Amino acid sequence: MGRAYDLPGGATIGARGTARPARLSPLEGTAIIGDAKGETVAVHQIRSIVRPATLEEAWERRRSEPDASRFLAGGIDLVLYVPPTVSTLIDLSALGIAAVRQEGADVVIGAMATLTDVLESPLVGEVAGGFLRDVLRRVASPLQRNVATLGGAAVRAHPWSDVIPALLVLGARLDVFDGKLSTVELSEARARSESPSPLVLAVRLPGASRDGRGAFEKFARTGFDVGVLNCACFAIIERGQCRTARVAVGGTPSVAQRLPRVEEMLAGKPLSASQIALAAQAAADVVDVRDDRRATAEYRRILTAVGVRRCLEDLADLGMEVKE
Amino acid sequence: MRIHLTVNGTGRTWEVAPGDTLLDVLRREGFVGVKKGCGTGDCGACTVLLNGRAVNACLLLAVKAEGGAIVTIEGVAQGGRLHPVQEAFLEAGAVQCGYCTPGMVLSAVSLLSHNPDPSEAEIREAISGNLCRCTGYVKQIAAIERAAARMRESR
Amino acid sequence: MKKSKSRAFAVVGKSERKVDGLGLVTGRPMFVADVDVSNALVIKVLGSPHAHARITSIDTADAERMPGVACVLTHKNTPATRHTTAGQGFPEPSPYDTRMFDTKMRFVGDRVAAVAAETEEMAERALAAIRVEYEELPAVLSIDEARRPGAPIVHDEPDATGIYDASKNIAADVDIDVGDVAVGFAESDLIVETTCETQYAQHTPIETHVVLASLDADDRLVLRTSTQVPFHVRRIVAQTLGIPMHRIRVVKPRIGGGFGVKQEVLLEDVAGWVTLQTRRPAFFTLSRPEEFTSSRTRHPMRVRVKIGVQKTGLVHAIEMEAVSNTGAYGAHGLTVLANTGSKTLPLYNKAENAHFFGQAVYTNLPVGGAYRGYGATQGYFALETAMDEAAERLGLDPIEFRLRNAIRTGEGSPIFAKLGEGREGVSQTVKSCELERCLEVGAERIGWASMRGKKECRGSWVHGVGMSIMMQGSGIPEVDMGAATLKMNEDGSFNLLVGATDLGTGSDTILAQIAAEVLGVPLAKILVTSSDTDVTPYDVGAYASSTTYVSGMAVQRAAEKVREQILGVAAPMLGVSTERLALRDESVVAEAGSSVTLARVCQRAMYETDQFQIAATASCVPSESPPPFLANFARVAVDTDTGVVKVLHYVAAVDCGVAINPRLAQGQVEGSIVNGIGYALTEEMLFSSRGRVRNPTLFDYKIPGALDIPRIDVVLVDSYEPTGPMGAKSVGEIGINGPIPTMANAIYDAVGVRLRQTPFTPERVLEALRRA
Repeated sequence: MGRAYDLPGGATIGARGTARPARLSPLEGTAIIGDAKGETVAVHQIRSIVRPATLEEAWERRRSEPDASRFLAGGIDLVLYVPPTVSTLIDLSALGIAAVRQEGADVVIGAMATLTDVLESPLVGEVAGGFLRDVLRRVASPLQRNVATLGGAAVRAHPWSDVIPALLVLGARLDVFDGKLSTVELSEARARSESPSPLVLAVRLPGASRDGRGAFEKFARTGFDVGVLNCACFAIIERGQCRTARVAVGGTPSVAQRLPRVEEMLAGKPLSASQIALAAQAAADVVDVRDDRRATAEYRRILTAVGVRRCLEDLADLGMEVKE
Repeated sequence: MRIHLTVNGTGRTWEVAPGDTLLDVLRREGFVGVKKGCGTGDCGACTVLLNGRAVNACLLLAVKAEGGAIVTIEGVAQGGRLHPVQEAFLEAGAVQCGYCTPGMVLSAVSLLSHNPDPSEAEIREAISGNLCRCTGYVKQIAAIERAAARMRESR
Repeated sequence: MKKSKSRAFAVVGKSERKVDGLGLVTGRPMFVADVDVSNALVIKVLGSPHAHARITSIDTADAERMPGVACVLTHKNTPATRHTTAGQGFPEPSPYDTRMFDTKMRFVGDRVAAVAAETEEMAERALAAIRVEYEELPAVLSIDEARRPGAPIVHDEPDATGIYDASKNIAADVDIDVGDVAVGFAESDLIVETTCETQYAQHTPIETHVVLASLDADDRLVLRTSTQVPFHVRRIVAQTLGIPMHRIRVVKPRIGGGFGVKQEVLLEDVAGWVTLQTRRPAFFTLSRPEEFTSSRTRHPMRVRVKIGVQKTGLVHAIEMEAVSNTGAYGAHGLTVLANTGSKTLPLYNKAENAHFFGQAVYTNLPVGGAYRGYGATQGYFALETAMDEAAERLGLDPIEFRLRNAIRTGEGSPIFAKLGEGREGVSQTVKSCELERCLEVGAERIGWASMRGKKECRGSWVHGVGMSIMMQGSGIPEVDMGAATLKMNEDGSFNLLVGATDLGTGSDTILAQIAAEVLGVPLAKILVTSSDTDVTPYDVGAYASSTTYVSGMAVQRAAEKVREQILGVAAPMLGVSTERLALRDESVVAEAGSSVTLARVCQRAMYETDQFQIAATASCVPSESPPPFLANFARVAVDTDTGVVKVLHYVAAVDCGVAINPRLAQGQVEGSIVNGIGYALTEEMLFSSRGRVRNPTLFDYKIPGALDIPRIDVVLVDSYEPTGPMGAKSVGEIGINGPIPTMANAIYDAVGVRLRQTPFTPERVLEALRRA
């Protein structure tokens, strides 16, 4: 059944935790729960699942029914929540976009590769010292990682996503198809709002990131949890100086964003303890944080400073091994 | 719509609704060892193997299993002989109410089929998505270690 | 005290495999929902969107007409019997304040109506077609709001009974004292006072509540249900539906965890009513969100403890004031409140002056119920925090301070008699107490001497160790009853029929071990049937840590009666008098050496001479409740950058008398410790300003997983309880009381801040560090 399910109280849980309250009638103090249209009712609304064999077919199907259709990758997010208008799912598993390959200097990860596939890929392991693999190991549990796809994670971009900050700091790009092939920066792709958004074919880790190093901090309540905040940092360090520095903070509770002011502070300078402290403080100053049920804005600000500092210390091989 | 898959080694053809999850279908078809604990992928009680990998059946649309090989808890013991993981669970006292046990066993089976000599950390990670409220995980981790050792010995 | 080393058991004391283990590990159909339910109607509930509201109109006409709908239930067409849902012995010490479907809703998620339909989807569509109009009422969303003069009254119905003072939202009130604490404090050299608060928490059994109701061939109502209290279910469903008890059969198959949340009659009356009206089987289960909002929870409590200590290090006066939030209905309100004092204060029996008082308060929030620990968990937070503070101010090692004050073997406490479960208790003397040994073993295991006060730092992490001690009980004296029937088969095997309820705890197994021990047979020769009200004799069910001690003694007595019968048959066969006979190795063995197999004995009695069925039934109503004891030690690391608390090592040294099955006993303690760690660190139900639960999912209500547990050492200390079956006491609950106070004390050792509100989330810890 469509996985919008009722909370007692008339609210509906959609994607993990976003609840829409019951409609209140104009009459003060009374509420009408539900109606025949079923907005607050979980229904078995998926009517068909098609499995096109070509990109053109897949795109045409999607383009022709933008509100009634969705691409189906691993399907986890769709099982948990599918918008009420959707009746057709377009399964991408026959398009041959699951492989991980080397293309010139780039490592190209097919959008339908599962997070486990990516975790186990030796090619991915060669990029930035295996940084993406380290991050993916912190995502959910093996049960989800065996089904969730990297493309799905990049597109769905949950606010707490650990994948997005990692890809952002790696300078990842997306190979997309919307009738024609193109490659766009991840941040640019996310900023675009056309509907339907293009079909993601692959996540491209650029060769330029190969020799950098990444670090990741995730603050969560338990080990199998989304983060209340996460930080990803990437740097290419030459002769003790940061040639390139990228910093992204996510789960603020919004989805991860890079912090250009902090990156500017680090670029071209040595990654010293004092520089790290300044950068961490700057990150805390600029980060856009809010309260939600998992943490307060103030606490997230504190975590931003701690997380960025620890990531940068990790990159610089500074600081003690802080494993209790 | 119709899906074709193998379940515990036997080919099946099942009529499913497009929105059915694998959990819905498996339980409907009599594989009641696959448990429902939450329906949202948070507890792991519905774990089955899909092509050798442990997955939440409640998060998998049934059509995603098309052409695949599913193993449920009912298919772990072979001809009445328990799998070393099952044997170890019984021996170690790792089963209390038993509701999380099928999922836990399958996550362990999946781990050991890919990593025959896991560290304790790797064992914990493998069952990190399987929640248990009875045991505190202590004896389950010990059971998996013991099963791994036995399986290595018998190679 | 005598140790059990001198006793040589054949089956008891062995870590035998669980008798139901094979089926569980191979996924056999053993749970309620594992039978063919395709023919059953599915029941879904419409929950109240308001915390406090009257239903002014409810129109189900559209819903009833929808395809696949068999019936729609509301207050208009269901029995109005006020009852309690609490699974307790009759007369239940909980108010009769609940109706199956009421005209007034008292919390978000309260039951407005229900639909029974062919499929879940059809039922949900029909729910959406029910038209309800509410008169919203102002709600009370905290203890303080509820107790304010002029506060809205949660229970203003005229036909509720057993409420202490409904006009003030007081469901229950307790006030007992020993000596005079005012004098006691005046005579003390040091006063320590602390107030600790615990949060709304939920049991999260991995299997939610579920029941399948059906009619058997004689049109009797059969309830196949996930319950801890099958006999209370039968009685309360009969009461609520107004049908004779003998027309109901309750069967508990395997259940997927309870921890107290299934000590409640929540779904069975509704499912039973649907089946009786439609003559169809009815399947009713709670979704995970409903399990959070609309089943039962831990009672949040505010507990103030004041202790007066003399220079000698003896606690001279203890005052404990407990206020509990019992939520919208009063099930277990009085008894959890009373237990907060009755399971804590006797521990420090040297205090000649004690005062325990408190109230259980109604609010328009989810309903508190039975949860492992049952009030003691909340009480020990405050008590062991106060004791830790007092030890520090006296300059005494916390362990030494406990040793000076804790109850010992041969001692009693006036609290035992004054405070039972909701009424007067029963006087008793402790006959087994190995606390000293528990403390010795535990301290050594954690490395107490080398770590305490050291505040070892690793980066931003600071380490500390803390400890606490506690007791619980073994059943409710002079109230609880368990019974067992044993019958013999002609191959020398026995059927053991017990009402006792195995929630996964392994009670079927340990009860079989006791019988096997008495009868001199291996475990495999005892075939257990449990928790079927038609077949098994009465048992209160699984709560109050009663099973091992109470049901176990019933089994022992039944086995002893059967042994006498066997010996009586065998005596003429061997030409030896019964005093010279013993049961061993599946035979009757004479002192002189001759023997006859049990099979031969039974064949003779069944087919040959003076035929009769070798069988017996026995009961046990305990006259005391010997406490198990526990010493907890924890090593934690506190991250001073983020406030994150990690438990590194947790040691629990337990005295549960003789452990009938050491591995199962250990498993009980390990599981309850991890549950307690979650309760201490991460679990918290959060509410909106309108009383709605904001996180009714395992996604946002975080319980410990395999990645979260520390190194856990559970040591079962050698002990022997003379009044217990084979020397056993119970052990099911006590472990969960440890983590909160132990970790609070460890955090103090590490970073010098006392946390008085659970859970100890990173934000709270960091806030406390900053204020310090």
